[in-house]
Amino acid sequence: MNSFEFDFHDLEIDAPSIGRLLGYGEGNLYNVFSDLIRELLGNASRVCSVKAEYRIFHAAEWNDKAKTVTLTGVVFRLNDIVYKQLGKAESIAIFVCTAGPEVEKLARQAMEDGDPLACCIYDIIGSAIAESAARLLHDEVRKAAVLMAKNITNRYSPGYCGWDVSDQYALFALMPDNSCGVRLNDSALMSPEKSVSGMIGIGRDVSFDPYPCSLCHRTECLFGNPRRRQL
Amino acid sequence: MEELLTRIARCVESGKTDKASPYPPDMRGNDGADELTKQALDEGLSPARILDEALIPAMAVVGERFSRKEIYVPQMLMAAKAMNSSMKHLKPFFQSGETKRKGKFIIGTVAGDLHDIGKNLVAMMIEGGGWEIIDLGVDVKTDKFLKAVEDNPGAFVGLSALLTTTMENMKKTVEVLKEKHPSVKVLVGGAPVTMEYCEKIGADFYSPDPQGAVNYLKQFAV
Ligand code: B1M
Repeated sequence: MNSFEFDFHDLEIDAPSIGRLLGYGEGNLYNVFSDLIRELLGNASRVCSVKAEYRIFHAAEWNDKAKTVTLTGVVFRLNDIVYKQLGKAESIAIFVCTAGPEVEKLARQAMEDGDPLACCIYDIIGSAIAESAARLLHDEVRKAAVLMAKNITNRYSPGYCGWDVSDQYALFALMPDNSCGVRLNDSALMSPEKSVSGMIGIGRDVSFDPYPCSLCHRTECLFGNPRRRQL
Repeated sequence: MEELLTRIARCVESGKTDKASPYPPDMRGNDGADELTKQALDEGLSPARILDEALIPAMAVVGERFSRKEIYVPQMLMAAKAMNSSMKHLKPFFQSGETKRKGKFIIGTVAGDLHDIGKNLVAMMIEGGGWEIIDLGVDVKTDKFLKAVEDNPGAFVGLSALLTTTMENMKKTVEVLKEKHPSVKVLVGGAPVTMEYCEKIGADFYSPDPQGAVNYLKQFAV
């Protein structure tokens, strides 16, 4: 098991990036909200406890027909898109990461105080923290793979790219209880809410796709849209 | 008088809460929805006119702009906040029964799900459409929805969910509500929900955004 606690500054989240996630570029409207975003980002940075954990499984059994991968007896039912990307991996890293419960608390408090805008900005900040934590975790897996002279794939999460979210149960069965303080409920929802789980393939014949959103057809994804706009 | 209603509507559309609010920058220093509503009541305008001729039309404009992606969530929230600052002056008239709302709308995030940002946005926009909101919160079990429906005859129900797995709990809730109260109208929404799913579980309406729900409810307004 490899565990990490990330420093907020390493997450590289700044006010303009939060503005973009809210829908604004660098124009006038972003300027109107920028002081508020900066202030709330400061509050979030002081309290958040960003954690991540991954575990590598070297014996991955692939079933091309059923599009499944079995890790120490636990079966994952991948769909075509994910299987195609991961299927050549020799090992699989399973991960969980979280922004922690603190920023969610700030969001809830803002709502109780009658400030829905602050609540929404904290909510976006929490999402951005969780996404950045996943990116840093990905870098850690990359470093581990380099030491093995291997490549890595993109990260894939149950529920994204058409992969059934109920595979969260299989994923959590392979992680220690309460990994990074994250728990899975009976409906496959992680708590704290600002958490991401997934798989990364490791192997000589796998590769990283810099434009993963091209695989997905969703047009309304909060993270996909700004990325697509940049392409 | 007309001019005052237009000014209140403009404050709500642009999210100008009160005089102290720096937002939007081009209205800095001007009276906001708060002061203008008070002034309108002091000058004898009826709460019903303020609601029907200023607040509801203004929130409809905001909802349409959001649906067309001309504005984003923060502006919608500022508008909702401005509307609330106006509503606080109208609430005593609702409570005394002097002014009536369009009806009651019970809303909650379904059992097993804790995501509430989307649900809160929908609640604010429906309130802006003139409805009384009964917000049951998150992780709401079927029994709690049922009790709310029984306590509030004639109320409409809105269910929200984040994941396909939690969305399954919508099915259970819709089944029970429809079995015990066949006439109750149930609206569903949330990222994984589709029109197809709505039809499959026997809900009455699906909307991908808050304004769709507001528009649907208009036909039932009392
Ligand atoms: C009653 O009538 C109505 C009418 C309209 C109604 C309504 C009721 N209720 C809502 N509406 C509508 O009006 C509101 C205002 O417009 C809207 O409400 P929303 O709540 O949808 O919108 C909010 C205001 C803003 N939207 C959001 O906050 C969600 C945005 C998207 C991009 C998203 C985000 C940001 C995140 N996520 Co993720 N995430 C996605 C989302 C994709 C998308 N574009 O929706 C979704 C929801 N996520 C998904 C997944 C799978 C996951 N996410 C996860 C994690 C995350 C982040 C942490 C990175 C982050 C925050 C999540 C959070 N819950 O706070 C994981 C789950 C987290 C958990 N706690 O268990 C994880 C399971 C991935 C993983 N394995 O780690 C997908 C769910 C699909 C499914 N199969 O179930 C998803 C649709 C993305 C996708 N493209 O597939 C409408 O839906």
